[in-house]
Amino acid sequence: MLLQIDELAVGYQGRAILPRMTLRVAPGQLWAVIGPNGAGKSTFLRTILGLQHPVAGTISRGPGAIGYVPQRSEIDSAVPQRVIDLVRMGVERGWRVLDPLAARRNPAVEAAMRDTDVTALARTQWQRLSEGQKQRALLAQALAGEPTLLVLDEPTSAMDVHAEAGIFAVLERLRAERRLGVVVISHHLALLARYATHFLLLDKDEQLALVGERETVLRHPAFLERYGQVLDRGGRHD
Amino acid sequence: MTDTTSFWASWELFRDAALAGTFAGAILGALGVYVLIRRMVFLSAALSQAASLGVAAAFWAQVQGAPPWLATPTLGALGGTLLATALAGIPVRSSRRDGLLGAIYLVGAAGTLAIGTKIVQELQDIESLLFGSGVAVLPEDFRIIAWLALVLGLVQVWLHRGLLHVSLDRDGARVQRLPVRFLDFVLVLSLATAVSVSTRLLGALPVFAFMVLPALAALDLAQNPQQALVLSALFGAASGLGGYWLAFAASLPVGAAQTLVAALLVAVVRVARVLGDRAQAWQAHRAHALLEHQAHEHGPDCGHESVTHGDHFDYLVDGHLHHPHDGHCDDHGAQ
Repeated sequence: MLLQIDELAVGYQGRAILPRMTLRVAPGQLWAVIGPNGAGKSTFLRTILGLQHPVAGTISRGPGAIGYVPQRSEIDSAVPQRVIDLVRMGVERGWRVLDPLAARRNPAVEAAMRDTDVTALARTQWQRLSEGQKQRALLAQALAGEPTLLVLDEPTSAMDVHAEAGIFAVLERLRAERRLGVVVISHHLALLARYATHFLLLDKDEQLALVGERETVLRHPAFLERYGQVLDRGGRHD
Repeated sequence: MTDTTSFWASWELFRDAALAGTFAGAILGALGVYVLIRRMVFLSAALSQAASLGVAAAFWAQVQGAPPWLATPTLGALGGTLLATALAGIPVRSSRRDGLLGAIYLVGAAGTLAIGTKIVQELQDIESLLFGSGVAVLPEDFRIIAWLALVLGLVQVWLHRGLLHVSLDRDGARVQRLPVRFLDFVLVLSLATAVSVSTRLLGALPVFAFMVLPALAALDLAQNPQQALVLSALFGAASGLGGYWLAFAASLPVGAAQTLVAALLVAVVRVARVLGDRAQAWQAHRAHALLEHQAHEHGPDCGHESVTHGDHFDYLVDGHLHHPHDGHCDDHGAQ
């Protein structure tokens, strides 16, 4: 098991904003976290990443590293950074970063860039990349740490449909080839319905936390009430 | 004798002070990259003012009879900087952070002015504390800045990967379990010692300038943050030494001259960057035009104007004369 969450309550200053959740993320599963804006999705993500404390419950991580893919807007375009520099940062783990003799050439960096098709962009500055290329570079950074679990925060926002489909195709390949567990926040229901194995539907205002396998959630009245029509149109929700 | 010649002829006199400025410029220049990446420019301004207040307070304490071994200017600067760092670390809402730093800056500046008018010594007066108009350093102070440059330089060689990682991507660093608190502590300690020692020697103005301007130029020119660290240290050192020369040549206050040299570097790099970007864009445009041109066949109905050029006809494309013959096309230059 890569991630075991028991009776988890997430929130701020000791106050839970969502009902308690229990779920298990296993290798090869792709968990889609969906819900309206302000539903508590990012709070959930930050909690399982260890960036904020849970209000209650427990989170147990399995063996292996977590790869985190933040939103592209969190990278400062004013700081010069080539794709290779960004990806190399993904290799660092714990106190090993203090080892000045750690090799700069790391096969995991090259493999990650190859897997995400950014090898040709290695010397390109971050600010010159298209949105799709930026997302692939961030994915390469996360993969360079050879994670067993990949966590992505809205990887396809502000992307055209073609680029969105490309990112999900890469995720699907990684899930299948590397047996990665994936947890992803996204608004693109059509792609999620195609690629996700499990869903977590959150809604802070309605105090809803619906957890389950794809078929179960897609047929659940709470899901159909919110997204049934959106899914029929094959589009994204807000 | 030119200014430059007479400057080097008098080098023995100025050596310690000029090298102190060079070392301080290099240290603060490198640390300035973190200051800019972390968007804490105002913190560096507040720290340099707090350090100058600490120096002034130490001199004042000496005048009041405090033991000289205790009330040393360097200890005073370090105390002021550490106190300001502790105050700046008070958890407040981000909207109030600027206000808190502004308060530290203002208390530092006003306090230095108030106390500084009461202390007039051979090497220290209020102008040198605030603006860096001092032209000499004591041998023990020179040794301190030289050792500090060496130690902080080694710390950078050792820890820059971690320090940059935490500065560029704090959440990522925490997810990857990097020792974020330790690296923060190292950076704050480096800043506090560099600012306090440098402010005591150079004054608050050049210290603030060295923490902002060289890094600004370096980030404009570098390919990545690691290169920016090296470039910024070099720009800082050049500003420290060049400013000393300018002060000598133009009879300017040293701190002001060092700040102006650093600002000039920023301007030169910016202009070079803009020209470089334009040249790159022009080359890309030309390459694109060439590709289009190679796929284009000139003829009576190709859409380009036909003009006489010597003993033959050319076609006018974007102001250039294109001459198709023998299966290819030559550029006969601008019309």
